[in-house]
Amino acid sequence: MNPWHEDYKRRYAQLKENGKSFFPHTVFKDVCVALLVLTVLFALAYYRPAELEPLADPTDTHYNPRPEWYFLFLFQALKFFPGNLEAVAAILLPGLGVLLLMGVPFLDRGPKRHPFDRPLWTGLGLAGIAGFAALTWAGVRSPLTNPTEEADPQVAAGRRLYDQMSCAYCHKIGGKGGAVGPALDKVAGDETEEWLTRHFKDPQSVTPGSAMPKMNLLDDEVKILVAYMKSMHAEEPFTKAAPKIFADNCAACHKLGKEGGEAGPDLSFIGTARDKAFIKKYVEDPSTSKPDSAMPAFKGQLTDVQIEDVARYLSSQGR
Amino acid sequence: MKDCALAAYSWVCERTGLDQVWTALMERHIPEAKGWVGLLYTLGSATMMIFTVQAVTGFLLATNYVPSPDHAYDSVRYIDAAVLFGRVVRGLHHWGASFMVVFAVLHMLRVYFMGSYKYPREATWLAGVGLLLLVLGFSFTGYLLPWDQKAYWATVVGTTIAGQTPVVGAWIANILRGTDGMGAPTLSRFYALHVLALPALTAGLIGVHLFLVVWHGISEPPKRSPGKVP
Ligand code: HEM
Repeated sequence: MNPWHEDYKRRYAQLKENGKSFFPHTVFKDVCVALLVLTVLFALAYYRPAELEPLADPTDTHYNPRPEWYFLFLFQALKFFPGNLEAVAAILLPGLGVLLLMGVPFLDRGPKRHPFDRPLWTGLGLAGIAGFAALTWAGVRSPLTNPTEEADPQVAAGRRLYDQMSCAYCHKIGGKGGAVGPALDKVAGDETEEWLTRHFKDPQSVTPGSAMPKMNLLDDEVKILVAYMKSMHAEEPFTKAAPKIFADNCAACHKLGKEGGEAGPDLSFIGTARDKAFIKKYVEDPSTSKPDSAMPAFKGQLTDVQIEDVARYLSSQGR
Repeated sequence: MKDCALAAYSWVCERTGLDQVWTALMERHIPEAKGWVGLLYTLGSATMMIFTVQAVTGFLLATNYVPSPDHAYDSVRYIDAAVLFGRVVRGLHHWGASFMVVFAVLHMLRVYFMGSYKYPREATWLAGVGLLLLVLGFSFTGYLLPWDQKAYWATVVGTTIAGQTPVVGAWIANILRGTDGMGAPTLSRFYALHVLALPALTAGLIGVHLFLVVWHGISEPPKRSPGKVP
């Protein structure tokens, strides 16, 4: 038995004896604070209502996910860990944090309670607050992973209509949907707008014998469906030279699978986030897409054919 | 008339012990904490009040919300646009979520810097850490429910991180998502956690936490220890 435990109990009993009744003294303070907090809460709810972004779109890989602000520090902290370590840190860091928090009363055990009498723990607490604040601030300031691009509203509307009309009952996009009609991400992007328009108005007129029903669409609906179809590109094949072009020009800074440098981002899954057109433009001159990019422009360094080839190669990575 | 009320009162007291419960809970003494320091002791009850707000507004939202990918988004839009005071109720629940985290942490900081977790209040602290984790669990599961872009992609990131845990990661991610990608099973799981499991666990743990607070008595404001004690 710790000698000061008994001592504390006795001293506390005395202090309690001399204290004031919970009701009304403590309750009064609690209620005042509660009313104040409620007022602020109502004001915020009224003047700054909760927002609602567009409907979840699993195919929109350009979206920049951001966590709730109080998780931001964690995401920022993870950036200090390169590549494979990040995965471990993502679990280890919060895990250790929680463990330390639970351990506090068992590590700091003496009778001293005043913050000035416990410089180590007070310092640790202040450092924790400062670290949280600094990381959160850095997180707020840090550039988005995907440069914001205007999503074409016509394409988005077309995609919604596609879902609403249950086109996926017969057609596949991205491997999901039925097999009665053709897989649209493979073929539709290559048709002309004119062809698509006529097709949507009357499938039989361009594809005699087509099993697709006439939909009686409004002109506006046809337009957004065409925009959606045109936004899909069939995957184009790259040549055998592409991996070599990458190895010679890019691998010094970029990883692909296990091989490659650390200076630039790992590109192993770039195909899930970027299409060929974006990659091509980026390789030609990064500064047009990301002004502060440290990567050199390759237009002039590589031929247009080589850039096209490497862009096709990269857009297939991770798919 | 007065006799009658008195008789009713003593009837209730005799069957429920109301008067003794009142004395034990409401007339227990608290060591005096003056001024600003006294205000710091209100943070715990403020957290509890916000939890009540979340429970009430959450109930109201649940009366119109539909936890399926086909209808979740539209039901939230409906709450915003058409339900009486729906926008305010959703606003309260939204801000209340942040407030809950902020006040739980502020309360924890007051306990931390005052060393109130020391003997005999270690278990109270542990229950507190459990509550903090539950609050974060609410935030993680609630974020997905509107099924908008932010909801969807933040949860993709969150469950992917969970999936990176060594050894059991894939298993955890699978339990959370319930499907290969994310879809209807993910949403129903998050919803069930958010409105059934977490509230029950939290209410229970708050009960334990408060019982311990009353049992040990609230700590007195710390004083500087006198000079150097050898
Ligand atoms: C849902 C979240 C929580 C609620 C509703 C809650 C509620 C309360 C209340 C009402 C008190 C009475 C004294 C006061 O208000 O300061 C209290 C005391 C206490 N709480 Fe919490 N609390 C929560 C979270 C936490 C957390 C996160 C911790 C620490 C990790 C914690 C640790 C403690 C301790 C050690 C005491 C005793 C302090 C003393 O006797 O001075 N609580 N809590």
